Amino acid sequence: MHAHFSPTRRALLAVTFGAAFAPAALAASPQGEPILLGVSGPLTGPNAQYGAQWKKGFDLALDAINGAGGVKGRPLQYQFEDSQADPRQTVAIAQKFVSDPKIVVELGDFSSTASMAASSIYQRAGLVQFGFTNSHPNFTKGGDFIWSSSVSQADETPRLAKYATELGFKKLAVLYLNTDWGRTSQTLFSNAAKSLGAEVVAAEGYQPDEKDFRSTLVRVRDANPDVIVLISYYADGALIARQIRSVGLKTPIVANGSVYSPKFIELAGDAANGVFTETNFFPGEQRPEVQNFVTKFRARYSEDPDTFNAVAYDTIVLMAQVFDQFGTERAGVRDGLAKVKDVPSVIFGKATFDPETRRVAGARAVYLEVRDGKFAPWDGVKPTTN
Amino acid sequence: MAPLCQVRALTRRFGGLTAVDALDFEIAQGEFVSLIGPNGAGKTTTFNLMSGLDRADAGEVLFEGRRIERLAAERIAALGVARTFQHGRVFGNLSVLDNVLIGAHTRLRATRPWGGPVAELALALWRPRSVRDDYAARESEARAIVARFGDRLTPRLDHRAHSLSYANRRRLEIARALALRPRLLLLDEPTAGMNPTETAEMEGLIGELKREGLTILLIEHKLDMVMRLSDRVYVLDDGKRIAAGPPDAVRDDPAVIEAYLGHSGVGRRPQAEAAE
Amino acid sequence: MNSFIDYTVNGLVIGNVYALLAVGLALIFGVANLINFAHGSVYTIGAYVGWAAITFLHTPLAVTILIVAVACGALGAAIERVALRPLQGRARIAPLLATIGLSFVLDQLVQLIASPNPRALPVDLPDWRISIGGGSVGPMDILIAGVGLSSAALLYGFLRFTKLGYAVRATAQDRDAARQMGVNVDGVNSAVFAIASALGGVSGLLVGMYYNHIDPAMSFQATLKGVVAVVIGGVGNVPGAIVGSLLLGLTESYGIALFGTTYRNLFAFALLILFLLVLPNGLFGGRKAVEAEPMTGTFIAPSRALRVPDYVVAALAAGAFALPLVAPAPYLLQVLTNSWLAGLLALSLTLVAGAAGQMSFGHAGLLAIGGYASALLATDYGVMPLVSVPVAGVVTSLLGTALVFPAFRLRGHYIAIATLAIGEIVSLVILNWESLTHGAMGVTGIPPLSAFGYEVTSARAVYWLTLSALVAFALLQARLSSSHIGRTLRALRDDEIAARSHGVKVTRYKALAFGFAGFGAGVSGAISAHLFSYLNNQTFDSQLSLLAVTMAILGGMGNILGAIVGAVALVGLPEAFRFAAEYRILIYGIVLLLLVRFRPQGLLGTT
Repeated sequence: MHAHFSPTRRALLAVTFGAAFAPAALAASPQGEPILLGVSGPLTGPNAQYGAQWKKGFDLALDAINGAGGVKGRPLQYQFEDSQADPRQTVAIAQKFVSDPKIVVELGDFSSTASMAASSIYQRAGLVQFGFTNSHPNFTKGGDFIWSSSVSQADETPRLAKYATELGFKKLAVLYLNTDWGRTSQTLFSNAAKSLGAEVVAAEGYQPDEKDFRSTLVRVRDANPDVIVLISYYADGALIARQIRSVGLKTPIVANGSVYSPKFIELAGDAANGVFTETNFFPGEQRPEVQNFVTKFRARYSEDPDTFNAVAYDTIVLMAQVFDQFGTERAGVRDGLAKVKDVPSVIFGKATFDPETRRVAGARAVYLEVRDGKFAPWDGVKPTTN
Repeated sequence: MAPLCQVRALTRRFGGLTAVDALDFEIAQGEFVSLIGPNGAGKTTTFNLMSGLDRADAGEVLFEGRRIERLAAERIAALGVARTFQHGRVFGNLSVLDNVLIGAHTRLRATRPWGGPVAELALALWRPRSVRDDYAARESEARAIVARFGDRLTPRLDHRAHSLSYANRRRLEIARALALRPRLLLLDEPTAGMNPTETAEMEGLIGELKREGLTILLIEHKLDMVMRLSDRVYVLDDGKRIAAGPPDAVRDDPAVIEAYLGHSGVGRRPQAEAAE
Repeated sequence: MNSFIDYTVNGLVIGNVYALLAVGLALIFGVANLINFAHGSVYTIGAYVGWAAITFLHTPLAVTILIVAVACGALGAAIERVALRPLQGRARIAPLLATIGLSFVLDQLVQLIASPNPRALPVDLPDWRISIGGGSVGPMDILIAGVGLSSAALLYGFLRFTKLGYAVRATAQDRDAARQMGVNVDGVNSAVFAIASALGGVSGLLVGMYYNHIDPAMSFQATLKGVVAVVIGGVGNVPGAIVGSLLLGLTESYGIALFGTTYRNLFAFALLILFLLVLPNGLFGGRKAVEAEPMTGTFIAPSRALRVPDYVVAALAAGAFALPLVAPAPYLLQVLTNSWLAGLLALSLTLVAGAAGQMSFGHAGLLAIGGYASALLATDYGVMPLVSVPVAGVVTSLLGTALVFPAFRLRGHYIAIATLAIGEIVSLVILNWESLTHGAMGVTGIPPLSAFGYEVTSARAVYWLTLSALVAFALLQARLSSSHIGRTLRALRDDEIAARSHGVKVTRYKALAFGFAGFGAGVSGAISAHLFSYLNNQTFDSQLSLLAVTMAILGGMGNILGAIVGAVALVGLPEAFRFAAEYRILIYGIVLLLLVRFRPQGLLGTT
């Protein structure tokens, strides 16, 4: 909720609370002028749930950082402006942020298209636009102030293709969300699959609000695939998976990492079992960064985190380190992103940016399979063809 | 000399009901003809068929020798046929002046430029001298027509039509129709709902139009007015023509009397009755 | 051949799902002569009430259905009483607008309370399936079919054979006469809304269970498909709604079979337009006789336009131009730039809907055409924006008019549906015509506005450019309004039949109006494209179309200054209240409802 208060009010609150709990908090609470991160993202509208996921990740990271004294004694805060992932609004918000000198970096927006509409404003004004969920291959080409920690689709989808072929599938039917994200992924996926010797026997694009896939599945079935590949988000992925099973198709399903969320299992029910997917973030992984994050998330929110929470969390951690090492001047933040090395990251393990692409190289993937209503690492057993 | 307008075997059915049944009549240039008959006799439907708002199932309508029963209403209006409506239809949100100016639509040269609609748009936006003169001419014509109604409408030229009294709205309708400079004027119950004073005034105006040589086809229920104004009368009942002729002949026709259910001496003045 | 059976079965299955919603819509239309756009919201609320019952009260299926029916029935009666009854006697389109406003409000309330995240809605039915062809149906399909058919049968019987049913039908025919005969007209309306809404809520519950998925955004698509089904079946015809739904389902299924999944909705809306043109009363609606009273296709409340003296307008314009010199904050300028662009859209709409009487619920489609035309010319063909923007305006003018042309002879709610569908069709064609528009990928790297190499990119320059476009268009529109064309358009709006009877060629003038308006909207879309630097088929969506309608009504239909005021109020002001951003759409819905109810002539009055 504090995102809605003005900076002065927040500072006032911080000071008041600090004074009230002085003895206990004195050691930990940062007292300096807050470092302000501008966040442009969907709080309302069709993608509102992702904005909510971001907030959870942000808040968790801020708890830890501000609880440990902030960055050089200054607390980190974010100012979340609701863009509804609408390019008209991201542009207005961009103008607002660039002309507010207290904002040192911008995070978001949710979709690549919404972010790209505003990129030129950030670039011209010299404020870093950090689109941490923007995976469009052209996003970071907007200029040297445009950065992203999101794995580019150009890196992610070939990995999915690799997984599919490693599972032994040769004839792939692809169902993809017909947006720029889905389209880009589908093209990259199909190319990668072909180069690995597999054949794409069907490719069906569907609208984001589509609910009924039965006739689509007839088309797919008629193409005789040995696997159905889903390039979807978790809600539509779940719908499709359910309908695949309810029309009686036993074809195995491989889905891209966006379905990786407890919501997928909740919405897909039994149909989720046996679905293969891969992720950059798996709570079961024993890496300390992951466990640290997952434990704290579960403690605070009583639920398991998903990728959106994780990337948001990572972003705050990253920014804190950049501020700490390179200062809070806008140009300095840009330079810092290029120079910062080995930032602890839930997604990447240790994150370092490639200054050429302005993305993080070397995301790792965990191959997963859903078993008994839970995501579990793939045990290496290839499914038998039916 | 050929009649100005002729209706031959005109027929219109609505499901099982025949509203107009093989109707024949004609009207010569300068004549004043009335259509009378009980309610539901098919009079307004006949007007609709003649003015292009409805399509006949059979028969023809000839105006100045050409068949018009299949033409669109706006084409028929452009040929010089104007009409009023049984329940009065003015443009409520337009001013009195604008209502009348719409009547003059077909006379406004700006609506028919070389180059079609695009040229019309361009002219309306640019408004060269010729267009402004055109506008001015129509406006003065409109004011002149409105002036015929004395001070009923002139003081209210820029009032919206929906604010006028009922009688004024009916007058406005006629003013609008006159602005078209019609060669044939169809009047549908112009005095419906008016009190005797207003009716007399309206009768005076219609009489004036008749004296100026306008060809008029009138539907009316006030039969004394019909008898005073008309050169000829047609009587309709159940869609069929049951009588035709000069007012005196029709007045005493038994079929007509029966159609009006026992009215004796239809339209006869009391003293004439007493004189018998 | 095997697959053909499967497609047919699937078409019937999805048609079955549509039918549940369509029956309720048909009932309301049949009695209240109203397309209830809020029906989809009741459907959504039904699903959530059911979810709550199952999650917190653990009720078995039959009890859940009962709870949902009662709750939604009450909601329906409340909607009728509070939002619709006060609008009796107004233009037909007033209640339609009210239901649109209601749908915004209800959907947003659901989203605020329940969060936008989809939820599962598990069903405790047995798990068997019956094989048909290559596919299968299960108990849920049977249940939905059962509820749909039995409710249609019950309703039909009720309307045909019971005393209350007679009362309902009498009210639908002639409300005043029915009242004279002693029918409790208000009670009848309440009852009908309650029944239809109960059915709507239950269908939301069952469909939510069918897909194991409920979310607050369910309503729009559901309503659209329901409306298509109802039009096909014949508005007001309850059994017809079922046939219409099945036909819709089959059309979609065969469309997918022939062309692929992305063509599904295109087929649905094309079917709708086909029916509206050829058989507007649907398959079972019967043929209408000649209309007696003037039927206008728009929403005009008789009033006088507020007389704003010319010097005031000039002063406001001068002030607007001078603003960047006085208060150069880029954020403010950006917000106002957005307002000017919205103002062009509102101007365009207020001309056709206000002055010419052609309500348009798909006006954002014109923005899309203009945006794409300029974007493609500039990106794919290297045309200078100084040239591509006006050219885009002309393209929009011609293409927009051609698209809406078939709808010219429609009235009232039909025109609302048709233009809404045309707007959706534009978006879908853009999505599917990949070779021209780049499909879902959209157009990237649209160059900024420039003329002869000089780029217009600073907030100030863009502000002045868009303001100039707005002022220029507003002046032209004022000139049009004061010309004989303006007068003719207003006459058309008021009484098309009387206008025709005095020689006005209706189609010509409606086309003129749309052609002129299309130019302004096209330019707005084109400028936006260059400002966003990216465009796809969702950039200008149906919500924007409805926002345009709200802006025009707020300012006063047909009122030029009003359109600009409406745009500033609905696009600019919310920026000042960013903390309330979460409630933005809720506020739009409330504004629309309040306007329709209390001030239909808007702030500055209609012309």
